[in-house]
Amino acid sequence: MSFNSRLRLWLKEPLVHFLIGGLAIYLLFAWRGEPVDPASRSLDVSREDQAQLSLAFEKTMGRAPTDAELDRQVQKFVREEVLYREALRLGLDVNDGVVRRRMAQKMDLIAGAQAETAQPSNQALEEWYDAHPERFADDAKYTFDQIFKTDLAGAKMLVEILKKGSESNDFTALSDPISLPKTVENMSRKEVLDRFGEQMLRNVDKMQPNSAWEGPIQSGFGFHLVRLKKREVSKPAPFDELSDTAKLKLENDWRTSTIADRKKRGYTILREAYEIEIAE
Amino acid sequence: MRQKITKSHFAKWALVGAASLALAACSGNADEASSGDGENTIELAEFPDRPYWGDTHLHTDNSVDAFGFGVRLGPEEALKFARGDEVTATTGAQAKLARPLDFLVIADHSDGLGATRRLYDAPRIGVQAMGDETMLRWYDMMHESPEQSQRAIGELIMAAAQGNLPDAMNDPEASAEATKDIWDTHLDTLDRYNEPGVFTAFAGFEYSLMPDGNNLHRVVMFRDGSDRTKQVVPYPGLSTTPEGLWDYMDAYAESTGGKALAIPHNSNLSNGLMFELTKHDGGAMTADYARKRARSEPVVEVTQIKGDSETHPFLSPNDEMAGFGVKGWEIGNLPLSAKTNNAMRAGSYVREALKRGISLEEQLGVNPYQFGMIGSTDSHTSLATADEDNFWGKHTGNEQANKERANMAQNLGTRVGRFGWHYLAGGYAAAWAKGNTRAEIFDAFQRREVYATTGPRMTVRMFGGFDFTEDDWDGDWVRRGYTNGVPMGGQLVDKKQAPTFLISALKDPDGANLDRVQVVKGWVDPFGVVREKVFDVVWSDMEGERALNGNKVPAVGDTVNRAEATYTNTIGAPELRATWTDPDYKWGQKQSFYYVRVLEIPTPRWTLYDAKRFGITLSDAAMANSVAQERAYSSPIWLSPDPEANPKAADTDKE
Repeated sequence: MSFNSRLRLWLKEPLVHFLIGGLAIYLLFAWRGEPVDPASRSLDVSREDQAQLSLAFEKTMGRAPTDAELDRQVQKFVREEVLYREALRLGLDVNDGVVRRRMAQKMDLIAGAQAETAQPSNQALEEWYDAHPERFADDAKYTFDQIFKTDLAGAKMLVEILKKGSESNDFTALSDPISLPKTVENMSRKEVLDRFGEQMLRNVDKMQPNSAWEGPIQSGFGFHLVRLKKREVSKPAPFDELSDTAKLKLENDWRTSTIADRKKRGYTILREAYEIEIAE
Repeated sequence: MRQKITKSHFAKWALVGAASLALAACSGNADEASSGDGENTIELAEFPDRPYWGDTHLHTDNSVDAFGFGVRLGPEEALKFARGDEVTATTGAQAKLARPLDFLVIADHSDGLGATRRLYDAPRIGVQAMGDETMLRWYDMMHESPEQSQRAIGELIMAAAQGNLPDAMNDPEASAEATKDIWDTHLDTLDRYNEPGVFTAFAGFEYSLMPDGNNLHRVVMFRDGSDRTKQVVPYPGLSTTPEGLWDYMDAYAESTGGKALAIPHNSNLSNGLMFELTKHDGGAMTADYARKRARSEPVVEVTQIKGDSETHPFLSPNDEMAGFGVKGWEIGNLPLSAKTNNAMRAGSYVREALKRGISLEEQLGVNPYQFGMIGSTDSHTSLATADEDNFWGKHTGNEQANKERANMAQNLGTRVGRFGWHYLAGGYAAAWAKGNTRAEIFDAFQRREVYATTGPRMTVRMFGGFDFTEDDWDGDWVRRGYTNGVPMGGQLVDKKQAPTFLISALKDPDGANLDRVQVVKGWVDPFGVVREKVFDVVWSDMEGERALNGNKVPAVGDTVNRAEATYTNTIGAPELRATWTDPDYKWGQKQSFYYVRVLEIPTPRWTLYDAKRFGITLSDAAMANSVAQERAYSSPIWLSPDPEANPKAADTDKE
C-alpha cells in the first residue's frame, strides 16, 4: 500500500477528523482564546475525596477496595476530571443534545429538590387542606330501598300504586329478579357506583331524601323505584383533628403538587426574561 | 483562581445522599393499619358480598422495558391513577378511571429493576467507561428518539430471551444494591397508599423467565406490609427456574411468617412450556413437584393485553366461541424468535392445562394445575386501564397520542407479524372477599375465589353442591350457596349424584347486556381420555326469539354501528341466572371440573373507538376484528371421586 492510499484511508477515519478538529480548536484557543489560568490546571485529590471514592467502591462491590484498587479509582477519577475540564474548555458541551437535556433536567431537579425534603409548616398544610376539601372528605353515604323493574310501563304502574299508600310490608317481593341489594344502608358513594353504576348514581343524586317511593329512575340494568332515606355528605374533619394517616396523605399531596408547582414557577420566571420569536 | 476538585462538590453529593435517606425515613412512617396485611383493621362482611376489582399486573418506569418504551410515570402515579385520581400520562394527555379500582399489584420486572432508568440517567461518558458497545448503543438509541428507544428495548428483550444480555445488566450481585434501594423505597410508597377498606396496594414483582423467548413469566404477589417484604428482594428470572422461585417463596414464608403466591401469565406465548406434562427440567412429573406447583400458583392470568389464553380453536374445535384474543399471538413465542405449531398448543392454553391437571391427578393423586383464573392488564404505561373506550396502549409508544396505533406493526421493535389491533384492551381481576384489605383479597386469591374478565365489570357467582334447586333464587341464595355448597375455586367430592350449580351473571352496570352463560366441563372418561364439553346454560330471550333451534342457541344479534362506534342494549339481558345440573354425569366418573363462561353482546373494540375518535381508516384485517363479545371466566369447581369408593386414590391422597 502506497503512502498516499494509506493517507486516504486515514482521512476517512472519523477519529482522525476528530483529532484534527480538536487540534484546530486547540490552536485557535491557544492563539486567540483566554489565557489559561494556571490554577484551573491544578487538581487536588484530598483524603476526603479518596474516602468518597472508597465508599462508592464499597457500595458496588460489598467490600472496601485494596490499596491498589483505590489507586486505580483515583487514577480513573483524575482521568475523567482532566478530560471533562478540557472538554468544557473546548466547548464540547455546546450543541450536544444529551448534555443539553441533562442540564435542563438538573434545573428542574434543583427547582423541585427543596420540596422533596422540606418539612411543610402546619400552616402550609392547612392552607393546602382548605384548598382541596374533596380529597379528604369521606365518601358520601347512601341509605335507600329500591325495587327493580325490567320494563318502564310496569315500573310506572307500580309507583302509582305505592304512592296511593297501599304499602305492602314486603316491598322486596315486588321486585323483578336481580342480584342487587334491595336495601342499602350507609353505602359509600364508591360502592353505589361500583354496584349500581354511574347512571343510577346520577339519578339518585337528583333526588331529595324523603320517605316516599319515587321514580322510576333508570340504571344500566333497567328501572328502579327508589325510597331515598338518607344521603349524608360528610364534611372534611377540622384540620386539628386529622388522623395520622390523613396527615400523611395530606403531606404526600402537598409534596407532589409543590414539586410540580415549583418546577413550573422556576421555568416561568426564567422564561419571562427571554424574548422568543418563532418564525412562521 | 485556584480550582480544586472541591470538597463542596463532594459535600453536595453527600447532601443529596443524606436528603434521600431523610426522605426514605419520613416516607416510611405510614401508620400500622396501612403498613401490615390489614387484618383486624376494618369490619368484615359475613360472606364475601361483592367482587373487588383490581389489576395484578401493572408496570411502571421501574420496569426495564417500560422505561425504554418511554413511560415516565412511576409507582406513585400508578397508585394515584388506580385509586381514581387524575394523572397526566407520559405523552401529555389527562387520564382518569371512570370507576376507580379496589386493589393494585405493581409488578415491575425483577430483572434489571430500574436498570434502564439508571442507564438513561447515567452520563454518557460513564456508559462509555463500562466498555460495553451494546450498552452504549442502547443508551444512544434511548436518547435519540422514542422510536429508537422502543427499538432498543426490543433488542433488549430479544437479548434477554436468548440469554445474551450485557454483563452489566445481567449481574444480579452487581445490581443487588440498586434493586434493594428501589424495592425498599417502593415498599414505603405502597404502605403510604394502602388504605384498608378503601384501596389495597400490594407488593409484588414480575418474574420474567423466558428460555429461548418462550414466555414463562409469573407475577409474584405478597400478602404483607413492608415490615416483612423488606426482608427480601425480588427474585431474578433470567437463568433461574420456576422451582427456584417456589423455593424462594417458601423461604420467604418460613423466615418472615408472611405469604406470597405466583400467577403465571401469557401461557399463549410459551410455545407449550407453561403447562407441561413433565417437570420444568423434562423429568417425569412427581407428586411432590405437583403439590409444590399447585401450592405456589393457585391462580393464572388467563387474559390480558397480549392476548387471551383460555383456549384455541385447534384445541376446542367444537367450541364456537373459542379463539377470542388469539389472532396474532398464536403465531409464535413472545419475541417471535420461534414459531408455534399445533403440537405446542396444549401446553399453552388454560382449559387444556385444567384438563392435563385432572389427568395427572388420576396418575399422581395430586393436581399440579388446580388453579383459578383472573384477568389483568400487563400495561406498561403505569395506567391500569382495561376498558375498550379508554385504551392507553400496551406501552407508551402506543398511547393515544399515536393515532395510527391500531394499524401499525407492533412487535417489540422488530415489527414482524403482529399488529396494533391484535392487542386486547386488557382484563381485570375480580376477587370475592369479605372486605378490601391485603389479607382478605390475598386469601380470596389463595382459595381461588376469583374470576377473570376481559375488561367489563360483570358480577359472576357460582356455587356447586348436590341439593340446590330452582327455588333457592327466591330466598337468600348467597347464604344457601355458602352453607350448602362451595363457591368458585372450591372442591366437591362425588356423592353418587349429579352436581348442581347456582350460577348468576349480572352485567356491568355501565356496560353491555349479556348474551349467554355457559358451563365448560372437563373430565377423564372411563378409558382415561380427557374430554371437554361446552354447555349453553342460560341466555337472553331463551323462551322467545332465541328458543333452541335443534341443539343450537340462535346468535344474539349485533347492534354495533361501525361508523359511529356505538351499540345499544336493545338485545341481551341485564342478568342471567340458572340452577344447572350436569346432564352427562355418571356415577364413577373420574376427576372433573366445571367453570362458567359469560358472554356479552357484541360491542366495539378499542380499534373501532380509535377509528371514530381519530378519524383513521382501519386496515381490512383490523376492521374485520373491530367488534367482539367480551367475556368473563370463573374459577372452576372440581369434582373428585370419593376416595372411600376408589382405593387407588385413597392411597395416593395421603401426603
